[in-house]
Amino acid sequence: MIEIDHVSQIFRTSGRQAHLALSDISLTIEDGAFVSILGPSGCGKSTLLYIVGGFVSPTEGVARVKGRAITGPGPDRGPVFQEFALFPWKTVLGNVMYGPRQQGVKAAEADAQSRRLIEMVGLKGFENFYPKELSGGMKQRVALARTLAYHPAVLLMDEPFGALDAHTRTRLQNDLLNIWERDRKTVLFVTHSVDEAVFLSDKVVVMTRAPGRIKQIVDIELPRPRRRAELLLDPRYQKYVVEIERMIDDTSEDGLRP
Amino acid sequence: MMARVLSRLAPLLACLGLLAIWQAGSLMLNTESFPTAIEAVRAVPSILGDRESVINILDSLRRMAIAFAAALLFAIPLGLMMGRSRLVASFFNPLLMITYPVPKAALMPIIMLWLGVGDLAKMLVIFLGVSLPVIYHSFQGAKAVEEKMLWSGAAMGLSAPQRMIRIVLPAALPEILTGCRTGLVLALITMVTSEMIARQSGAGNILFNALDMGQYDTVYAMIIIIGAMGIGLDAAFEKLRSRLVRWSEPGFDIPLSFA
Ligand SMILES: Nc1ncnc2c1ncn2[C@@H]1O[C@H](COP(=O)(O)OP(=O)(O)O)[C@@H](O)[C@H]1O
Ligand SMILES: [Mg+2]
Repeated sequence: MIEIDHVSQIFRTSGRQAHLALSDISLTIEDGAFVSILGPSGCGKSTLLYIVGGFVSPTEGVARVKGRAITGPGPDRGPVFQEFALFPWKTVLGNVMYGPRQQGVKAAEADAQSRRLIEMVGLKGFENFYPKELSGGMKQRVALARTLAYHPAVLLMDEPFGALDAHTRTRLQNDLLNIWERDRKTVLFVTHSVDEAVFLSDKVVVMTRAPGRIKQIVDIELPRPRRRAELLLDPRYQKYVVEIERMIDDTSEDGLRP
Repeated sequence: MMARVLSRLAPLLACLGLLAIWQAGSLMLNTESFPTAIEAVRAVPSILGDRESVINILDSLRRMAIAFAAALLFAIPLGLMMGRSRLVASFFNPLLMITYPVPKAALMPIIMLWLGVGDLAKMLVIFLGVSLPVIYHSFQGAKAVEEKMLWSGAAMGLSAPQRMIRIVLPAALPEILTGCRTGLVLALITMVTSEMIARQSGAGNILFNALDMGQYDTVYAMIIIIGAMGIGLDAAFEKLRSRLVRWSEPGFDIPLSFA
């Protein structure tokens, strides 16, 4: 369980001004839940994710994982960054093996596990490619495999599909759901897409424009496993999307990108 | 195909062109102190065939290799730490700003007062000449390392020193090697100048002794030999560099159709 307890974040900008990025956020995420954070850009979604990751310590409040205050990063929480952040000097296989090797898994075993993961994310045959040689969607798949490889209990995903074309995005969403349905990790998923949030999540946390506050939390009670084609025609799905879009229009003038 | 062959031959053609201009120039000037290219080239084998000269040249290379290696061992860690720590950077930056523009060989007379005319003084000068560009490029390289890469490493359980060696170092390697390449050229230059000032042994010693004695074909032959050493070292280093950082070189075919 992840508890975010009255967390606020103030950044000092270069002009010595204080900028309130997150204001009094409280949120509880159950084990095995798929929770999306939805909000316009600049509302502090990434910052919230970094706080749970332990990369940023909050100005006020605490974040806890399994009851213990988060003081730094750890292999129990695996980030997948919007920027991929792959190691460019390592091949696809080298990137995916990095975590397991660091945790002391024997080379042969890490190799075999990583090859299986690479196959699972649909990159069989690309094991010896360098990140430079991959497209954006492929890099995102490697980033996901690299994080899954060290078995974090919590996945922290920051707009992982934000930069991808619609087709690739849909494929990766389906793949992610399949993976998640298999091993039910806790997922904290940042997005600015309402469709994506409703399609993937058990819970959608809608945030307000800066300073980021929680506007509302919507439970998505749609059956799983979810099939995109069925869901798009499902009036309950449509109702969630419209409801959440209205909520966002309430708080922001320029709204969200679809 | 034709273009390929031409671009392969280009360096050779450039060298031949330079020698031809030299030849023509010296024939036109017709002074004793400017031998023709052919005379100078002819003097090369007699230098390389002379035991004494070869020992001198190897002495130079030995000093250069030791000083270059020592400089890398010192400059790369320092540059990387400066790139990752504002405190370290703000301490060393002013020192570097002061020392960068000073011609290192100009320090030679002072250093000779401390260390004498032997190997140590010369190696120290080479060391200084190499260190600065390597520090600078390592610093720039380390500063540019994407923070999310370090975060990814931290999430996998890498400690701060591990991140330095296993993430910052490889990520900054292309930039570090650019600095090393500049450093290598500077090593050759400071090597020769140090031997000009402290005449005792070395390639520079042969060159400047010949100049004193008016043996101009030897002087120019030594210039050719030192130039060739420069080209050879640089080509060898470039080969090593491109192997080490193949992953960062552009020009791969990207399979765009695959998602
Ligand atoms: N390291 C930082 N220093 C100063 N301001 C920051 C920093 N990180 C984020 N911010 C500011 O905090 C706000 C929220 O940023 P972010 O969490 O990236 O938003 P989002 O991910 O929702 O787009 C933005 O206004 C951003 O400029
Ligand atoms: Mg963001």
